[in-house]
Amino acid sequence: MTAPATPAGEAPGPGGGPQHWYTVIWSSAKARIGIVMLAGYVLVAGLAPLIAPYSGTRADFDPLLPSGSTHWLGTTSQGGDIFSQLIYGSRVSLLVGLFGGLLATVISLVIGLIAGYQEGSVADDALSFVTNVALVVPVLPLMIVLISYSDVRGLPLIVGVIGLTSWAGPARAKRSQIITLRNRDFVTAAKFAGEGPLWIIFREIMPNMMSLVAASFVGAATGAIAAEAGLSFLGLGDSASISWGTMLYQADAQGAVSQGLWLWLLVPGLTLALLITALTFINFGIDLISNPHLRED
Amino acid sequence: MSILEVHNLSVRYEPRAHPPLTAVRDVSFDIAEGEFVGLIGESGSGKTTLGTAVLRLLERPGRISAGSIVFDGRDITHLAEDELRPIRWRDLATVFQSSMNALNPVTRIQAQFRDAIEAHSQLRSDAVTALVRQLFEMVLLDPAFLTAYPHELSGGMKQRVNVALALADRPRFVLLDEPTTGLDVVVQRSILDRIRSLQRERGFAVLFISHDIGTVLDISDRILVMYAGRIVESRPAAALLADPLHPYAKGLLGSYGDPRAETVHLTYIPGRPPDLTRDLVGCPFAPRCPERIARCLAEEPPLTPVGAGLVACHVARQQRAPAPGDDRTGVPERTRGFAGPTFVRSGEPAATERGPTILELVNVSRVFQRRRGLTVHRMTAVDDVSFTLARGRIAALVGQSGSGKTTIARLVTGVDRPSSGSIRFHTPDTTVEVEKLRPRSLRRYRRHVQMVFQDPYSSLNPTLTLGYALTRPLQNHLRLGRAAAHARAVDLLETVALTPGERFLNRYPHELSGGQRQRIVIARALAAEPDLIIADEPISSLDVSIRAEILELLHKLVTERDIGVLYITHDLLSARMIADEILVLNGGRLVERGSALDVIRHPADEYTQMLLDAIPNPFGRLSIDTI
Repeated sequence: MTAPATPAGEAPGPGGGPQHWYTVIWSSAKARIGIVMLAGYVLVAGLAPLIAPYSGTRADFDPLLPSGSTHWLGTTSQGGDIFSQLIYGSRVSLLVGLFGGLLATVISLVIGLIAGYQEGSVADDALSFVTNVALVVPVLPLMIVLISYSDVRGLPLIVGVIGLTSWAGPARAKRSQIITLRNRDFVTAAKFAGEGPLWIIFREIMPNMMSLVAASFVGAATGAIAAEAGLSFLGLGDSASISWGTMLYQADAQGAVSQGLWLWLLVPGLTLALLITALTFINFGIDLISNPHLRED
Repeated sequence: MSILEVHNLSVRYEPRAHPPLTAVRDVSFDIAEGEFVGLIGESGSGKTTLGTAVLRLLERPGRISAGSIVFDGRDITHLAEDELRPIRWRDLATVFQSSMNALNPVTRIQAQFRDAIEAHSQLRSDAVTALVRQLFEMVLLDPAFLTAYPHELSGGMKQRVNVALALADRPRFVLLDEPTTGLDVVVQRSILDRIRSLQRERGFAVLFISHDIGTVLDISDRILVMYAGRIVESRPAAALLADPLHPYAKGLLGSYGDPRAETVHLTYIPGRPPDLTRDLVGCPFAPRCPERIARCLAEEPPLTPVGAGLVACHVARQQRAPAPGDDRTGVPERTRGFAGPTFVRSGEPAATERGPTILELVNVSRVFQRRRGLTVHRMTAVDDVSFTLARGRIAALVGQSGSGKTTIARLVTGVDRPSSGSIRFHTPDTTVEVEKLRPRSLRRYRRHVQMVFQDPYSSLNPTLTLGYALTRPLQNHLRLGRAAAHARAVDLLETVALTPGERFLNRYPHELSGGQRQRIVIARALAAEPDLIIADEPISSLDVSIRAEILELLHKLVTERDIGVLYITHDLLSARMIADEILVLNGGRLVERGSALDVIRHPADEYTQMLLDAIPNPFGRLSIDTI
């Protein structure tokens, strides 16, 4: 006590309270690597016009040039610059990851939280039934069917389809989490403070499970990026825009392997794999928030 | 001959993300063969850390930073795990704080004993079984449970198994770390009595850690009092009881009283323990001490012998054993009691005229049905209970766990519905039948009925500010606007003595001590201007040293506001301090009711008598006049 006696010490103490979430995530070496890598991707996507030597959609170069000083990674059989396509492609992947992840997370939050809070009620039975159905339906065929029935193609469609087909698992996780939280005294206290159920669910309980929400968002974003690449590879993507998936599709369709054009196939695949690795690394850090036992103290 | 000697032991926690702190600082003591030593102090005083360090069970980020631990003449401070293993359990055994979870859930009880016995002795097969049977009888358990799994046992039985397990290899030293916390008072009593008589029979030494000073005084030979990581007093139990030296020990003792006395005085220690991450100058207790002198703030008192014990206090030493060079200016008179704030409850009945009835229970029963296959199990939690509560009166609902007190609280607040009977809530204009309320009207009803919860750590939302917690009921129930609610929240904070209120609005619950949080919970209950408050064990999770403070606050606020209170507790002393009348519940039935003093001094029912006997009452050994 460096300062002399403060009367009765009624001031709030310094409190060894919970650490901030960002210090926890940053304390993990894996998460640090992941964050730096993701930041790199975001930077490249944001500054694409400055970094890329040409427009991503331009296709009037000589076809199948080898890598060199004018075309770092060579050109495609249609005469597009592979390096520029790669740079612009990161925009699509990140956008799909962001919005697909958000959509899946929001749907899973609404369904999982409402079902869990009302556990055992008719509402829970109905919502859980829908969740279970969504879980057992094979996702890839469903996505293919949904996209092929649609008249319009484009990014919003891809994002919507990915969101609508990938919320079920996270919804179940959130339902079980809220079941353990809804019997806490502070929930009863909120009822006595006159709060309605929706307010209690989203304002009182949800902030207590943000680490699970964040983890499921990163997981959903990873899934969305992979799904977009997969759909584009199958030729169901947005043909007007360039993504790593469409690059892979083109490369495969033009027989890049048989012609020995390794770079064309390898580079978008590797970039995609590294982005997914970065997101997975970040999730290691987020795990530390929800499970303090994993922290290296 | 000492079995355990601890010399100048310090333990530091050095976590990566938090500032390091010294949890145990320069502690020395020894325990003689066959001695029963109690270790008391508030939560956070370092008791458990000290116990864990003595067993060499500290885990990172904690480590022994200085000093030594000598067990039976052998320095074990730096022994390797492999060298420790043969000593553990055979010589050094323990019963842990959370021993409910200390048994392996997938292994039968007998097998757990077998492991512990076979690892340390030559006994095998039938000889082990015979020994385990003996151990079971020793702790008064039916040997039929030998082949049971832990989940088939009640909490008290598990705790007995843990005690038997600790004694299986006839250890010479046993550490008991709050071994009965979380158990029912009556069960608690019988387990501790059994431990004490076994200890006398077998002659092992015990270090008994507890925050429950009454129990510790009752069964220990010698007491160590710990504060802020240091031992501040070490005395034989009887001497400490008759004449505590350190003001902190006085404060802890003062928080107990005999509920049977005509007038009960309970003192409390205001403030909170110091922050151990900072360097302390002077006596760590000085900021909370009513007897401090100038020297206390400048110079830390060493642990020095005074009479038959040791004390670390300038004032006590100068009073009892003045040294020639002492400057005696400002040294207060010798006192036995804590010279701090006191909550007094006298024997004369409170206002005899009863106000209008606010709550009425008529033949209320609650039966829980559980279907298992084809059979239906019925459990009657509340059995034909009728009583009334008048406005402005405090009724204590007393009983051990499982007596149905919490179920009654749930019924009264509309969380649960009775199987039969009726609960009526009267306001001057209308009568509400609580069991018939639908969700919408239930919300309106809750403006009149509020709750104070047991655990202030779980009843405040950790992610939301205190200002939020206080303004929401104001906005919802009283329909106040944002600014008005804000101003009222500041007023509320000041009524519960958190001043200046403004400074607390943007704080989060984790920044507050347990006592401060409970005051927030009380303020929140008062916010909606209710007519009835249900207080469910509001002080049982708080430190003994501040319980009286919270009780006094609650008592003052509800009396001023003419609110009816249903105070639920297992603790007759607190019931005596706060309640006008006491209702005793046993197995869901109301077995006794009457004015608080009558019920406690002249219990008519056997069960009430049993609850009274379970109260640790070291003061019974002293005559009433000295208190």
